Amino acid sequence: MYGALDTSTSALVAQRTRLEISAANIANAQALTNAAGEYEPYRRRFPVFAAGDPATGSPNGVHVASIEIDQGPLVPRLEPGSPYADADGYVKYPNVNSVIENMNSLEASRAYEANIAAIEATKSMMSVALQILA
Amino acid sequence: MIDDIANADTIPVLERLVQFAGQRHRLIVNNIANFDTPGYRPVDVSVESFRNQLGEAIDDRRGRRPDGKLNPIDSEQVEFLDDGMVLHADPIGENILFHDGNDRDLERTMQDLVENFMTFRTAAELLRSRMDIINSAIAERI
Repeated sequence: MYGALDTSTSALVAQRTRLEISAANIANAQALTNAAGEYEPYRRRFPVFAAGDPATGSPNGVHVASIEIDQGPLVPRLEPGSPYADADGYVKYPNVNSVIENMNSLEASRAYEANIAAIEATKSMMSVALQILA
Repeated sequence: MIDDIANADTIPVLERLVQFAGQRHRLIVNNIANFDTPGYRPVDVSVESFRNQLGEAIDDRRGRRPDGKLNPIDSEQVEFLDDGMVLHADPIGENILFHDGNDRDLERTMQDLVENFMTFRTAAELLRSRMDIINSAIAERI
């Protein structure tokens, strides 16, 4: 039955990673330059989940297979005064949609809760099983 | 003699039920963990067919004298071992398929989790009361 805990924990890790990615997307929603200070609007990140848990080598569980960069179109805004404006006065802003990010983080936290419920059930089952002997 | 005690009345049946609920719990937990995995299909075993297998084994045991061991017959999904069981789960494809190819059903899965847990607890509690009886019987003799 300990395997059931591993499975749920792998899902907690995956969902937390997803939540962190959403947080990073929201935090960088207006970021126009990269860490080196060059003009490179932030692009939205998203996790790709895959079944199985490499941490324990078990076919049960879930893990983040990769974190992809959304190559969707950046959002142009008319800001002629900006140092990053193009010839027509438009600045390209990150392709982060706060509605999508909010929905994603809500879904991730609900999934996290579902796994917590599963862990609680596993724990109760373990203690009940121990009581057979006591 | 210990074999007679260990295989007396409901003990082997409850034992199988605890094993089944314990194994099925793993399947349900895995389904919950993969709620957001693209292309994942939830898997489960049929509780009804396990119930039938167990029922037939109980009938078979009642027909024998003395009672002796419970001999359940394997099915495609449930394989009985001497000291446990192995579940061969199949995808349950009952729900609408989502865009990501996942077939999750949050509410039913959580319901399954709770139901399975209650089954486990009931069987374990009954098993415990049987053990208590054996314990007090042993205490009387000493």
